[in-house]
Amino acid sequence: MAEGAGLVRMSGIGKRYGGVRACRDVDFSLGAGEVHALLGENGAGKSTLMRILSGDVTDYDGTIEINGAPVHFGGPTDAQAAGIAMIHQELDLVPGLSVADNIFLGRELRTKLKTVDRRRMEREAGALLERSGVRLDPRRPVGELRVGEQQLVTIAKAISLDARVLVMDEPTSALTTSEVERLFDVIRELRRSGVGIVYISHRMEEIAQVADRATVLRNGRIVTSFDPRRLSTAEVVEAMVGRPVQTMFTTPDADTGDELLRVDNLALKARRPRPGRRDPEGISLTVRSGEIVGLAGLLGAGRTELLETLYGVAPAGTVTGRILLQGKEIRPRRPRQALAHGIGFVPEDRRASGLVLFHSILANTVVSSLPSYGRLGVIARRMERAASVRMADRLRLKFGRLQDDVGTLSGGNQQKVVFGRMLLTEPKLLLLDEPTRGVDVGAKAEIYRLLGELAGQGLGVLLASSELPELIGVCDRVVVLRDGRDVASFSTADSGEGDLLAAAMGEGAVFEEVGGAQ
Amino acid sequence: MRSLKIPLAAAAVAALVLAGCGTTSERTSDTPAAGESKACEGADGKYTIGMSQANVAEPYRQRMDDDIRAAAKEVPQFDVKFADAAQDNAKQVADVENYITQQIDLLIISPNEAKPLTAVVKKAYDKGIPVIVLDRKVEGDAYTGFIGGDNVQIGSEAGKYVAEKLLPQGGNVVELKGLAGATPQAERHQGFVDAIKANPKITIVAEASGDWLREKGQAQMDALLKGNPKIDVVYAHNDPMAEGAYLAAKAVGREKEMKFLGIDALPIPSGGIKAVEQGRLSATFTYPTNGKEAIAAAKRILVDCGTIDKSQILPTRLIDASNAAKIYAEENPAT
Amino acid sequence: MTDVQDKPATQVERSAGSVVATLFRFQSVFGLLAVFVAAIIFSPRKDGEILFISADNLANVVRAVSEIGIIAVGMTFVILIGGIDLSVGAVLGLAAVGSAVLMVESDWGFLPSVLLVLVIGLVFGALQGVATAMIGIQSFIVTLAGLQIARGLARIWSGGQGVAISYGDGPNEAPESFAILGERTFGGLVPIPVLIFAVVAIAAVVFLRVSAFSRHLYAVGGNEKAARLSGVPVVRVKIAVFAICGLLAALAGIVHAVQLNQGSPNDGIGYELDAIAAVVIGGTSLMGGRGSVAGTVAGALLLGVLNNILALNNIDSNIQLLIKGLVIVAAAALQRLRPAT
Repeated sequence: MAEGAGLVRMSGIGKRYGGVRACRDVDFSLGAGEVHALLGENGAGKSTLMRILSGDVTDYDGTIEINGAPVHFGGPTDAQAAGIAMIHQELDLVPGLSVADNIFLGRELRTKLKTVDRRRMEREAGALLERSGVRLDPRRPVGELRVGEQQLVTIAKAISLDARVLVMDEPTSALTTSEVERLFDVIRELRRSGVGIVYISHRMEEIAQVADRATVLRNGRIVTSFDPRRLSTAEVVEAMVGRPVQTMFTTPDADTGDELLRVDNLALKARRPRPGRRDPEGISLTVRSGEIVGLAGLLGAGRTELLETLYGVAPAGTVTGRILLQGKEIRPRRPRQALAHGIGFVPEDRRASGLVLFHSILANTVVSSLPSYGRLGVIARRMERAASVRMADRLRLKFGRLQDDVGTLSGGNQQKVVFGRMLLTEPKLLLLDEPTRGVDVGAKAEIYRLLGELAGQGLGVLLASSELPELIGVCDRVVVLRDGRDVASFSTADSGEGDLLAAAMGEGAVFEEVGGAQ
Repeated sequence: MRSLKIPLAAAAVAALVLAGCGTTSERTSDTPAAGESKACEGADGKYTIGMSQANVAEPYRQRMDDDIRAAAKEVPQFDVKFADAAQDNAKQVADVENYITQQIDLLIISPNEAKPLTAVVKKAYDKGIPVIVLDRKVEGDAYTGFIGGDNVQIGSEAGKYVAEKLLPQGGNVVELKGLAGATPQAERHQGFVDAIKANPKITIVAEASGDWLREKGQAQMDALLKGNPKIDVVYAHNDPMAEGAYLAAKAVGREKEMKFLGIDALPIPSGGIKAVEQGRLSATFTYPTNGKEAIAAAKRILVDCGTIDKSQILPTRLIDASNAAKIYAEENPAT
Repeated sequence: MTDVQDKPATQVERSAGSVVATLFRFQSVFGLLAVFVAAIIFSPRKDGEILFISADNLANVVRAVSEIGIIAVGMTFVILIGGIDLSVGAVLGLAAVGSAVLMVESDWGFLPSVLLVLVIGLVFGALQGVATAMIGIQSFIVTLAGLQIARGLARIWSGGQGVAISYGDGPNEAPESFAILGERTFGGLVPIPVLIFAVVAIAAVVFLRVSAFSRHLYAVGGNEKAARLSGVPVVRVKIAVFAICGLLAALAGIVHAVQLNQGSPNDGIGYELDAIAAVVIGGTSLMGGRGSVAGTVAGALLLGVLNNILALNNIDSNIQLLIKGLVIVAAAALQRLRPAT
């Protein structure tokens, strides 16, 4: 590897946002053909540093050199011209345009007549996607794709720019394990061709796999740089959060109670089926009170769709099978009904479907439980404030003032607000869809702690996740879905990630027929 | 600081206001006596007159303002301000209120509609401001004088002209009416219908509403031409509709078969007099803008300390090929 | 920064941006103040008296904006949920015609007439809400259609022409009690329409402050999907908001009829745009979820003061349009500068 070739050298970088110092005197370098991992909790300054590098933030202290020549980008276009491409965590795709159109947005291929050469764009987009390890029809509108698929499209787009420096911000957060593997192949190939890659991730095992070097940021400063293959996960986490972390996962005691939820052969036939959606086609499972049940499966296995059906937000259609809550048959048709039954839901994409980012923490926390803070539709401000403060305390929310916009919080704290909102409705059953996606390690640990606590209080939890360690670590039991059906159920006490993966992929795995609880 | 932008914006607005406004008048006036005309200072006085127009977008009303402006130029004591209500009664009420605040010496108003403007005109009049009402009346008698045309009479003149001059042997007439619900529309129709009764051989074979608009008149005429194989005269309630009808007939090559009659006879290049002169219309009838007369009346009140008639109806004139060029020249004296 | 790692749920120092944020929040109020001061400076004077701040003129200013103001309050609700209501001017016309026809031609009493007209506005708005919330047609299109329908209804009901209102006990006369709505009170100083506007504005401000409904409304406008998932009755909120807007447009129509002593099917043409302008100047985002009625009221008053001072200086009506256009653009531009979160 071309270690000596200093592709990027950032020195003494500093940046203030009002009273907050997002970066303080940061030195960061990247060699050609190097994969440099950047770690840190949300709000540690990783994103700011990379936004400076990609020309998104133009007013900062310190200097940047590319190939030894000092530069100062006036905007993202300058950075792109210098060969720096960034894959944002927030997917910047145009939903109404096709995959191919998105990949070539702003630099559309032309025919000799200067018209858009759609056919060539589609062909090349297909090839690019293939390289990134996805099989997708380049003509499909991006809005129809699942979040994970969209993420792969942004990666393909970044690769197509022929960048010398590629910044990947949490590229795998919505990918399945096999897709992650293919992405790593792509990264290795890019590295061989001399591309420098900055790899931001919360997933320690990934970093150990692909990174040559890792740097940890905390509170805007560099805490340590190390060889990721040498340091243990615990040590890295400690460096990130600034205190020792005993265990990531709070092992729940299997002290579960009566049956809370029973789903019997649940199926939904949507009146107008949407492409890429896998509605339940016969799912049976149970959740006892105090039990955390995981939902595993590949992308498109129907995890989200099952949760949505239970919460009453699935598309209109014919529902067959039964949903029993504490023995009583229910059929929620809208979230209000589900909430009234005691079912809460934390959606997958908190920014798009969880929060009003420019509304206050207070407003976002209490919105589901408003009628309980007053009478006759009049809100008693003191009561809602008290509830909000109580919830913030319980969730150990890190915030300035309750009136601050929720968008100013870090990802993990935003997620806590969505949690808090649901908990204020005092649910019996909590449906969680990828609750730790894009959440930093510290907040993750706290969410796990909270889940354990809730289960201890007798709540039932149904947790859909793509992170196998999470499922194994947090859940009492994991139900594996494939193609809209439940195909296996494991007790986490005596199975591992491999079992789950095998069942999810259906590759020569032994199909266990599991009836109800074990 | 970002917060500076607000005062900056305000200053910008203020600057615009400043740039737009002339010097404010500095006159002293006696306290008005309630009811009738105040403050006649004779030829030595300086007078601000407020002209509240219903809708300048109509050529007839634009001409009215122009006539007032031209006539006022001849009276050195007068300074006339103009406001346009853009066809909005509420806006015209506010316009008059603002004139009252400015303590003008005389109000000329051409009301958009009678009823909605009555109260505010009375308010001005009760404050001692002489009010000259043009074209359309207000209700009651809380104004100094009304100057206008007589639409019934105009319709009647048009009817007589058709019955006696154009179709003494009888024939088929098509009527293109103004906007439904407008008083002039009803009056121009009534006068016409009554007058052509004198010749029982004339029939009105069709009528349609052209809403005073040229393009609407054209569209209505398109349809009427298809349904009526024999049309001898087209009587339109204003010149633009008559012109529209002419275009429709010309499009199917039938413009020579029939005569076109309009009303208003505005002495402007796009007006009815020119259309008669150029042979598209057979005749049109003047509907005076009264601008000149209004300033004359204002002069009598303010400068001559005299009184004016409560109602002054100006007669209409027939414009046809024989006098069109001459009258156009008279109305637009070379300056 | 203070160390917050181990002190969850404690307060961190106030961010420096909040002062600027506050300024922006009350942008329209400051704008109103600025325009007001400018109006005093540029006001014509007579015998040393500043004509603009004479009590009578100020009453005129507010009276002139009262109808637009009432509509704009309703419009604020609609825009807060990310919608738009283009039908308000036409509903105003329909209500003005309704008031006149019921009282003059049908000889109805004051209260039944007013109530029926208000109910018509409410139902009309609610139906538009149903079309946009339940069928899912964009509110722009629904209310564009609603505009045509309301105008058509007004034309049919009035027979195509203005219905004049005269007062008395006889047949074809409106009850004297109706006329009171157009008069002035408090020593002939405060026009009743201004009082109605004030009551509507204050009620709306209070309502948005204390009601659970208003939280739902802001949530729907801020992120409809999140609101639905949070259990907010999105459909109900939308229908209610359009109903409120229709109701207030009808109320403005009644005020319009009494002030002009007439109900005409052509009343209120273009008022929707003035109302939208007031809302935008008031700092409410057309994207929804952000804004306030207080801002709208300030925006409406700002437009009123601007109209007044331009008229008092006899600025050419065409130039007036230019200046008003620039003010709207300036207000919108200021919003773009709002500190991002």
